Amino acid sequence: MAAHKKTGARHHRIIVWSLLSLVGLTLLLPLIPYAVAYVNPETGGVPNPGADLWRAVREADVGTTQVQGVDTGVLINANGERWRHFRMNQLIPIGAMLMGSVLALIVLFYLVRGPLRIQGGPSGKKIQRFSVFERITHWFTVSLFWLLALTGLILLYGRFVLIPVLGPEGFGLTASACKEAHNLFGPMFLVAILMMFVTFVKDNIYARGDLNWLLKGGGMLGGGHVSAGRFNAGEKIWFWIAVLGGLVLSASGLVLDFAVFGQGRAVMEISHVLHGIAALVVITVSFGHVYLGTAGVEGTIGSMTNGYVDEAWAKTHHDRWYAEVKAAAGKTEEAGSVGGGATASSVVSPVRDG
Amino acid sequence: MARMKFLCDAQRCIECNACVTACKNENEVPWGVNRRRVVTINDGSPGERSMSVACMHCSDAPCAAVCPVDCFYTTDDGVVLHDKDICIGCGYCFYACPFGAPQFPKSEAFGSRGKMDKCTFCGGGPEADNSPEEYAKYGSNRLAEGKLPLCAEMCATRSLIAGDGDTVSEIFRERVTWRGASGLTWGWGVAYGKKGIRRGHDVEGKATGGD
Amino acid sequence: MFAQLVDGIFWNIALWVFGIGVLWRILSIFRVRNKVDYSVPRGSGLAGAIGANLRRFIPRREMISRTRLQVVAGYLFHLGLFALLVFAAPHVLFIEAQTGLNWTPMPYWAFIVSAQLAFIGLMLLWFHRVMHPVTRLISDADDHIAAILTFVVMLTGCMALIEGFDGLRVLHRFMVELWLVYFPFSRLMHAFMFIPSRAFTGAWFGRRGVKA
Repeated sequence: MAAHKKTGARHHRIIVWSLLSLVGLTLLLPLIPYAVAYVNPETGGVPNPGADLWRAVREADVGTTQVQGVDTGVLINANGERWRHFRMNQLIPIGAMLMGSVLALIVLFYLVRGPLRIQGGPSGKKIQRFSVFERITHWFTVSLFWLLALTGLILLYGRFVLIPVLGPEGFGLTASACKEAHNLFGPMFLVAILMMFVTFVKDNIYARGDLNWLLKGGGMLGGGHVSAGRFNAGEKIWFWIAVLGGLVLSASGLVLDFAVFGQGRAVMEISHVLHGIAALVVITVSFGHVYLGTAGVEGTIGSMTNGYVDEAWAKTHHDRWYAEVKAAAGKTEEAGSVGGGATASSVVSPVRDG
Repeated sequence: MARMKFLCDAQRCIECNACVTACKNENEVPWGVNRRRVVTINDGSPGERSMSVACMHCSDAPCAAVCPVDCFYTTDDGVVLHDKDICIGCGYCFYACPFGAPQFPKSEAFGSRGKMDKCTFCGGGPEADNSPEEYAKYGSNRLAEGKLPLCAEMCATRSLIAGDGDTVSEIFRERVTWRGASGLTWGWGVAYGKKGIRRGHDVEGKATGGD
Repeated sequence: MFAQLVDGIFWNIALWVFGIGVLWRILSIFRVRNKVDYSVPRGSGLAGAIGANLRRFIPRREMISRTRLQVVAGYLFHLGLFALLVFAAPHVLFIEAQTGLNWTPMPYWAFIVSAQLAFIGLMLLWFHRVMHPVTRLISDADDHIAAILTFVVMLTGCMALIEGFDGLRVLHRFMVELWLVYFPFSRLMHAFMFIPSRAFTGAWFGRRGVKA
């Protein structure tokens, strides 16, 4: 009986231990891979085995698909959210603030300082500043620039500004018209920029005195008179902003306009970022250019309408250029073309070489 | 109110493209447009996974956020739709969408794309339900008939499921429970008994949800 | 409502005004008789007429450098405009719907490029007209209205390119109607008159043995 009792006790012990080890193993066994992973990090360092795959997918790892097209193999477009953030939270509000504050500064400057006057008043004698071809080039670029700027700004801000006015259908129609016009006129702007560059580059290279002009703020703040050639340093900076900005706008615009070469979303998004920044910079700086060309400086507008400025204007703002013109006029008998207004020679030879 | 969701179970998708075909057929989409596509990652290698993807009808939809003419709207069922009468075909929604859902019938010079087309969750558009105009522009409106999108209804392995978000996730949770809590107990390794594959490449049942 | 008018009665009125107006202008010009020329002809009037028509397509040698811009821009504008007018796909479809005649249109990109060349030409020509002291002096309102009206017709056309908004198509067609009504009473008539007027001058001088 004792033996029987002994085997019975052993039996019980076995059962208990078996149960305990079963429970223990059930709890511990699943941990083995983790233990292995802990001991050998290189064979199993990833707690979730799927993480690698999904991380790759989110970083736009390209898979295969039966659907033909651009980027169809990309499961997740990783840049989309970044681009959205740029457009909605940076480009639109910062651009609006930039343009608004520059406009406000210009108005404020005009109210406080008023237009820059010609020293000693207009002399009544005129001097030709821009040839016919130069003015054609300028206004050709201007009209394309504003056509593109306005259509572009409507596409950028119309949702917030024009939908309340025109309604969704009305603005859809407006925006469609703007988009098509923008896409068609865009490539022509490249032609205009190249014409601008060829026409004006020779007078827009850095020359002695430009730095001095810049340091003195162009005489706009202190009121003093600063010496300058045909174009002062400010005009030269504007020229290079317009040309380089125009080239960036054209290049990125062409990428966006011709989505037929298989460029994917990443390229388009980067092009859009460059396009937006360049556009807002050039538009903002152009406000200053427009102000200085019209209301900001007395007697300037004539240089781009009929091509002539007052001699006193030239002496005030571009004394070295004035001296050059006078010297050149003194040398030849064709002085009439600079001194006397629309004489025969200035009328019949309107197209400057180049 | 129900909030409609798609869910694709990557453990089940066998890349048969039936959903793609069903969608094209049901909605008579324009040439060159595929509202739904199946993407295979690691095609032909161990750990290959396929996933059917279309518009996921996001709660905070990036397409709607960037649209210059604000032509997107979300229905009471949480389906993101758009108005082709307002769309100008600029392509911004395509840049912003994480899933590449917006499609364009054309891709020509000078930014000519035509009006955007995308998955409507078989929910039509702003026109009257099941009108010929709605069908011509947006395809079928199965939701108005009380049916779910045909792609999901058609899925042979029930990988792609569609419906109210709560129901869908409940079904999926149940599946994951049945497969076992760990990805190690199910999948390639078990099916083919290869060493090394089990752990390194196996995939816990994962799903893409809209948001 | 406006769309129906533009597609219906306005279009018919415009076509009638255009057709009758052009005929009336041409006939009235041809009805002007010159005094009978009793001088002995020194050369062929016909040869002079044909020669002048051909020679006027290129500027005289001594004028080339001074008229380079006008010549280049003029050709860009006119060739671009005609390519666009006749071979743009929407225009071909429109002409087919109106007349039943059809021909192969240009690809989308090609007629857009034509449009751009035409725009560049038109803008440069108009700015030349305004900027050059002589052309500014001899231009009157008609020249500016004709140029701007043509520009607006082209601009509204390019704005309607998506063919998805009927309002834009109607706007373009309305502008075309204005242009058609304006055409016979303006220098736009040069489209019909440039050959006869060159021929007249060529014949006049040709009879006197002078190359015109």
